[in-house]
Amino acid sequence: MSENTQNANPKTPAAASAPAAGRHAAGATGTRPVVVAGNRIPFSRAGGPYANASNQDMLTAAIDGLVARTGIAGERLGAVAAGAVIKHSRDFNLTRESVLGSALDPATPAYDVQMACATGMETVSSISNKIRLGQIEAGIAGGVDSSSDAPIAVSEGLRRALLKLQRAKTTMQKLQAFKAVRPADLAPAVPSSGEPRTGLSMGEHQALTTQHWGITREAQDELAAASHNNLAAAYERGFFDDLVTPFKGLTKDNNMRPGSTVEKLGTLNPVFGKKLAGEATMTAGNSTPLTDGASAVLITSEQWAAEHSLTPLAEVVDSEAAAVDFVTGNEGLLMAPAYAVPRLLARHGLTLQDLDLVEIHEAFASTVLSIMKAWESPEFCKERLGLDAPLGSIDRSKLNVNGSSLATGHPFAATGGRLVASTAKELAARAKKEGKPQTALISVCAAGGQGVAMLLRSV
Amino acid sequence: MSTVDPTVPSVSEGYERTRPSGTVKLPALYASAGARAATSVAGGAASSASRKVLPALRNSPVGRVLPASLRSSGPEKVSGALELPRVAHVVDGLSADAEWHENFCRVVHASPRPMAPGAAEAAVFSGALHSLAFPVAMSVLTRKDFPLPVLGMVHLSNTVHHVTDVAVGERVTATAWTENLRSHRSGTMLDAVVTLTREDGTVAWAGRSTYLAKGVHTAIAGEQPRPEQDVAPERAPFEAPLPTGQWSLGAGTGRDYAAVSGDYNPIHLSDPSARALGMKGAIAHGMYTASRALALTGVPAEVPFTWSVEFATPVRLPATVAVAVDDDGRGAHWSTSRVQVWDPKRGRPHADLRVSAL
Repeated sequence: MSENTQNANPKTPAAASAPAAGRHAAGATGTRPVVVAGNRIPFSRAGGPYANASNQDMLTAAIDGLVARTGIAGERLGAVAAGAVIKHSRDFNLTRESVLGSALDPATPAYDVQMACATGMETVSSISNKIRLGQIEAGIAGGVDSSSDAPIAVSEGLRRALLKLQRAKTTMQKLQAFKAVRPADLAPAVPSSGEPRTGLSMGEHQALTTQHWGITREAQDELAAASHNNLAAAYERGFFDDLVTPFKGLTKDNNMRPGSTVEKLGTLNPVFGKKLAGEATMTAGNSTPLTDGASAVLITSEQWAAEHSLTPLAEVVDSEAAAVDFVTGNEGLLMAPAYAVPRLLARHGLTLQDLDLVEIHEAFASTVLSIMKAWESPEFCKERLGLDAPLGSIDRSKLNVNGSSLATGHPFAATGGRLVASTAKELAARAKKEGKPQTALISVCAAGGQGVAMLLRSV
Repeated sequence: MSTVDPTVPSVSEGYERTRPSGTVKLPALYASAGARAATSVAGGAASSASRKVLPALRNSPVGRVLPASLRSSGPEKVSGALELPRVAHVVDGLSADAEWHENFCRVVHASPRPMAPGAAEAAVFSGALHSLAFPVAMSVLTRKDFPLPVLGMVHLSNTVHHVTDVAVGERVTATAWTENLRSHRSGTMLDAVVTLTREDGTVAWAGRSTYLAKGVHTAIAGEQPRPEQDVAPERAPFEAPLPTGQWSLGAGTGRDYAAVSGDYNPIHLSDPSARALGMKGAIAHGMYTASRALALTGVPAEVPFTWSVEFATPVRLPATVAVAVDDDGRGAHWSTSRVQVWDPKRGRPHADLRVSAL
């Protein structure tokens, strides 16, 4: 099967006759997609140094940093997939425009993906699948978001009037179109973080889930402190030296607070869930801030990597998306990973405890804690997942070992690329140290009640 | 709450059917009424509204053309036993215009369902059918022989039987009457009923609005006098459920709904116009709240259903209200829904809507 698809790729006629080397050994078919390198710009709190940087500026910077580090300038890649969650309609071809402005061959095709905060994960999945199918040999997956340079739209009333005006033929019709405009329509519409169907912000949704699972303030602050301290330690030992390229004077994520403690975080006032009956526990410290940033990951076949003298870090084994019905309150908005992960693990005959590294995106500290508590709950695992026994606990020493979104910040679409690149590098290092293959799980929740889980394995 | 009687309302024996002369248009009715406080005024603030506005109206040139029910003031005009006119108004050829319907649905955040899966024609949203039928009900409530003051009546609840869908543009006949005059501890209640009949003679939709005329304590023809010490029934204190959503209602919410429903009652339009009628400020239309709540439920296409809504305290605009939607299932597994709307800061209920399959 892969013989045929390889033949269809004019760039590598040699691959067609290549032996099975580089193919997945354990049941999976096709070419193994491997993460070769990753790059991101430091993430910045909104309104900071990147306030005037556009999504295109940041994505181009992330791609160019990756191209420079891997020495693939002028290469024609099979595809570049990226996206932004908050995007102006004029940026319909954001990724392609970024590629055109990058050091890559302008003949490199590109496409935009949007799956809210799981955008980056979905681009990695998409590029990997193309490689596995033999459609492409190498591609870049990534994402970008700016909360500072957000698009501002005209109000619905003015928008409808302007469109009507555009369709109007006679002067009378034009006057009619304008007659409908009210003074209040002249106020612009700023993008909001509210769920369109419920009107609740993500934080308010998570506050409901937090109460449902009884996640304490202390547990959330503990996780937040660990995130900052793990990230700081990773910077300290140079872990990010080949994962981050400075941008606009920033060399590290400026949301990071080294030396964070539960005591310090405990002084912050709650910001979400204040209208609910129970105690409000979610603060600015245990929630991610609005952030600007971009990330990019180079994924290739092992053969392409060898041809370009690049060392594979980890194989993108598989991914699984899930979605939940949060609109009627049947499930929490950010709980989809609790469903995606067990399905993915089951497909590969794995348990939570088989994993060497676990990355659960810290949209809020309580998101991570609620998901883990659900997996420990026999009722949840039986009633919601249909499992005889709970999935069990995760060893905290394997969780978000190099810090996660609470510390780095969370430029929505850029988070997937950050997670995949960092995890692949950590896997490769651990496999070398332990002398045996290592497996990692990454899970990311997203607006709209969605989530994507992914398995990476050292090569 | 009791479940809705599955029987679709019909005109009682002995009612005379008449076709009101000319077209029934709300603006004309409002012009004569000056202001309409009949619908959507939860909480009873409108009685004081009527006390303020009616004398002013009566003394103005408008007073001379006011219908009898508005011309004289409230309780004191009533003499002898109260009786509703045994008349049903019939209006043919009503239809929902496509553009109007799209606007209505946009304002109440409804997604119209098709007449049948895959059909090109859209079915009129159940809340929009209420607006279509409403002027005919108003024409009965503003008849000269209608015994209660329309301005000041409080909309307590609304029950709808949605038996079959009506297509956008389809012509239907509206039949409206009043019935069930009964006393209440704080006044007199009655039902205004409207049915919409398709050309094949089947009743597609029937709506029953229950109104309270506060302070009217006159004997009702054929009803035993109520005991003197009539106390309010013990109400369970409101316990807010966990919200599933919230609505941010801007100051223009009443104006937006007025533009599509035709209900330009000043108590909904702005703070000054509402204050002029004795309110503390503008309040949302009850039927706006009901339509928006109904639009949140997962009633599957082609399934006949009933919905009923009880209004508690009014929604003062602008407001952020909490909402809890509870569907018992999706698609074929759906049979009932409940939507509660409340003020999360004060913990007071605004509206409680129940939907169930017929």
